[in-house]
Amino acid sequence: MWVKLAFKLFSREFRRGELTIIFAAIALAVLTVFSLSSITERISLNIEQKSSDFIAADRRLSSNHAFEPELLDNAKQYGLEAAQMLFFDSMLFANDELVLGSVKATTKSYPLRGKVTIKDSLISQAYEVESGPDVGSVWLSEGLFYTLGVKVGDEVELGAGIFSISKVLVSEPDAPFFSLSGNKRVLLSYEDIPATKAVQAGSRVFHRLLFAGTEQEIANYYTWLKPQLKSNQNWEGIKDRQSPLGNNLDRAERFLLLAGLFGIMLAAVAMAVSAKRYCERQYDPVAMMKTLGGSRITIRNIFLLHLSLVTIFSIIAGLAIGFLLQHIGAGYLAQFMGTELPPSGFRPWLLSTFIGVVCALMFSLKPLLDLFDIPPLRVLRRNLGDTLALSRIHIAVSLMTIFVLMWLFSGEIVTTLILFGSTLLVIAILFGISRLFFAAGRRLGLRPGSSWSLAIATLQKRANANAIQLISFALAIKLMLFLVVLKNDMISDWQMQVPEDAPNMFIINIAEQEVAPIKLFFRENDIPHEAFYPVFSGRVDAVNGEEFARRISKQEGEEKDKDARKGVRREPNLTWLDSLPGGNEITEGQWFSDGDELEVSVFDGWKDELDLKLGDTLTILVNEQNFDVKVTSFRSVDWGNLKPNFVMILSPNMAGKVPVTYFSAAQLQDNHTKDISLLLQRYPTISMIDVKSQIEQAQSIISQVTLAIGFVLTIVLVSGALVLVSQVQASLAERMQEVVILRTLGARGRLIKLATLYEFLLLGAISGLVAAMVSDVALLIIQQQLFNIDGRLHPYVWLLGPASGAIFVATIGYIMVAKTMRQNTQGLLRKLS
Amino acid sequence: MSVLSQLNVIQVSGLSKCVSTLEGSLTILSDINFSVKSGESIAIVGASGSGKSTLLSLLAGLDVASQGEIHLDGDALSTLDEEARARVRAEKVGFVFQSFMLVQSLTALENVMLPAELAGEHDAKAQALDLLDKVGLSHRLEHYPSQLSGGEQQRVAIARAFIGSPKILFADEPSANLDSKNGHLIENLLFDLNKQNGTTLVLVTHDEQLAKQCQRIIHIEGGQLEKISEGVAANVG
Repeated sequence: MWVKLAFKLFSREFRRGELTIIFAAIALAVLTVFSLSSITERISLNIEQKSSDFIAADRRLSSNHAFEPELLDNAKQYGLEAAQMLFFDSMLFANDELVLGSVKATTKSYPLRGKVTIKDSLISQAYEVESGPDVGSVWLSEGLFYTLGVKVGDEVELGAGIFSISKVLVSEPDAPFFSLSGNKRVLLSYEDIPATKAVQAGSRVFHRLLFAGTEQEIANYYTWLKPQLKSNQNWEGIKDRQSPLGNNLDRAERFLLLAGLFGIMLAAVAMAVSAKRYCERQYDPVAMMKTLGGSRITIRNIFLLHLSLVTIFSIIAGLAIGFLLQHIGAGYLAQFMGTELPPSGFRPWLLSTFIGVVCALMFSLKPLLDLFDIPPLRVLRRNLGDTLALSRIHIAVSLMTIFVLMWLFSGEIVTTLILFGSTLLVIAILFGISRLFFAAGRRLGLRPGSSWSLAIATLQKRANANAIQLISFALAIKLMLFLVVLKNDMISDWQMQVPEDAPNMFIINIAEQEVAPIKLFFRENDIPHEAFYPVFSGRVDAVNGEEFARRISKQEGEEKDKDARKGVRREPNLTWLDSLPGGNEITEGQWFSDGDELEVSVFDGWKDELDLKLGDTLTILVNEQNFDVKVTSFRSVDWGNLKPNFVMILSPNMAGKVPVTYFSAAQLQDNHTKDISLLLQRYPTISMIDVKSQIEQAQSIISQVTLAIGFVLTIVLVSGALVLVSQVQASLAERMQEVVILRTLGARGRLIKLATLYEFLLLGAISGLVAAMVSDVALLIIQQQLFNIDGRLHPYVWLLGPASGAIFVATIGYIMVAKTMRQNTQGLLRKLS
Repeated sequence: MSVLSQLNVIQVSGLSKCVSTLEGSLTILSDINFSVKSGESIAIVGASGSGKSTLLSLLAGLDVASQGEIHLDGDALSTLDEEARARVRAEKVGFVFQSFMLVQSLTALENVMLPAELAGEHDAKAQALDLLDKVGLSHRLEHYPSQLSGGEQQRVAIARAFIGSPKILFADEPSANLDSKNGHLIENLLFDLNKQNGTTLVLVTHDEQLAKQCQRIIHIEGGQLEKISEGVAANVG
């Protein structure tokens, strides 16, 4: 019998709008989590797919020694696609011209991700292909055509083999950003390696295996591979790279994660407020039902069924709206980017449904328990049970639930703690302020009967309720300000990394005597360029006289081990400089002194990896000659700035001790093509690396992420606005009685409207100010800790917060009270009774 | 239980109610003794704050006494917990309140059906239709409380009070919120239905004229039973 009654009550309550706010709050939580996690997942997948193009695979394994055949065989058994590559330098000969080329031999399956761009001839249109050259033929980069004086169809000698030149190699997906190997690149079939006879025992070659597959397949394979990895073998994915992409990808993911957390927080606030309000409005009907003989069990069943029904409907609605939103968003993004976003998996569906259920249960549990405890005597004593409303347990349970939800969603305890801690700070400050401010208001001695005095009086009278309102206003404003500012900072940081005038051509192998004429050439042809850096190769052989290989413990963590190996294997390009380059910052020690001793400044990422400390002496082997250099500083390096960066910078007194070539970068426009041909003809030994396509790719990913962030921000802003609206709405309903009394006593509508306007202006401004203060401080921490962006205070936020808070809250309040005022007093009285 | 007490549908003996306040214990009712026979109508009168509403809440089992005993149709209320008292109310008691206390989200018809539905009765609708017809609201069945006048809302509340044919009807200032015309209408309706159904009526009021329409009047003063007098209806009855 109670079921029928429960359904009847539910449908009426729903129609009367009593459940609207609670419905909207759960739906909001679900749609926020669904749309954010879904779009984040789809964009992440897309970005990762695109980023995988940069290594032409999902993971790769590199070594300067040949791999055991079972590594490749087993990869195939684990369901992975694989490709094999070999890098070596070899002489090319054609038309009596001899050039050292940088050869990459690949199996037919290369590239596993991304595409190789080629041209049929020097003057034809470039197009993309998904495999390397056929057996017997080679693809040469454009520079080689000029240097060797050949055309497509000609033959070229490579080592001991003769190959037909079948295509012009324009770009490879995994071409290194800042490789100094030149643009004399040759792509060869892996099967042709023996024909070149270039690879002999002791040859300097570099081996690489590429892998592609699902994350699960890769994880399974890696579990098998890990125990047998050797110290000279390096396993990496796109995120392991110290590249602008790796960093930006990480930041974008963190931003989307934060946005999702804020969405959950906002929805949780809305849910906590609306659940409490709904239950309070049911106090009288429950007291009446108990008086009429309704048992506690019947009443509990009725309201639990209500909660279940509203939860189910709102989750369905939230999923539907969320799906629609992310569909529209993804469609828009796809259209903008000219690519399809991959579909998301089940996670967003499960996560958002789970969060909807948890929200509904945890935030309504205490108000519901209070509701069940309402004594029937309330029918005679009207205020019985009212004191139940503000319960510490409810606040504690709500806060705990928000924390757990945030942690669950983000999986990151630090981020969650920072956000949660700053939120608690907002709450504490606002409680203090509301007490102080409202107490101080009493002494203001405002003229009785004025709108301001009425507003202050109302604020004082409702100090407790106002404190709660202040908190929810401030939370919503804080979260919105936080995201807006973070978005602006992050995007401007990215734009600084890849400015419009970023150099797009690297020029290397410049001999010392060529520096001056090339500088002159650039000036004459109006080509903007960077400084000319001296570059030489060296290998760190020992630290404080102890040979390096012995220092690297195989027992160390995989990450450490990996980078340590990377460092030793790389034989990093070294330079000397007299001043600290942009994007670098000394983290320990001092920049070079003017002494005679050779000094080195080391990238601080290598400090722990190589177990270095200030004052250590490194032995660097350059051209069979050992140099002892003292570590005098460690530097942070912004690897994301798309500029030449060095792991080790030596003091300028290194000049003249080793042979060097110079290296610079220039920004070339399309109309410079002829000038460049001229330059290459005049200085045939220099090499040029075209990074235009890489920069364009990076810029496209950045704009994609920027767009995604804008979309996500909009969702969070809408959620925040809804919280504010529902709060104002709830508080206005509570104010109705006062409005009616004032109206009945003859107060003019203007007085009431202005009083409400001022009251909300004050509430909005105070909330906005506190929100600005706390969000700016939290931003400072978050930017430094999580985003590696230089944290700074934002004075405009301190104005934007109170101003936007006051305007928004007051506008909503004014509109709603004006609507109430349009009804006649008798109508209001009846509504109230 | 004696034969006499079996005839008494309400038996109150040594009833006291104290509440603790910041200033200490406050006695609201002290040593109240009286009984009400089945089908009798009594009025509880007294000034504001005299304790008459507290007495009503104890009689109806909405609150528990500090001392003494109330037997409601044979059930000793002090021995029952909240759930059992709710069951007693569902089976034996009807209510009419000063502020009507209708559920705003239910129509007039559904409000009247509510107690019968809570008690699991199957003919709730037929009973409710009959009662609404008796209170002259058969044309207002689907109206919500906010669409009814004060007098109409109280007529709905009276119809609700009589559904399930309760043995005892408690009315708390039933006409206090109404104008005199509507007030008289409600009072007449209450007494007429009471007579027709043979219900025991316990009416709390400060209106001496209304009280006189009952068979007996219990005067409460300062939490104590001052006297019990006979009403006009005593001679009729």
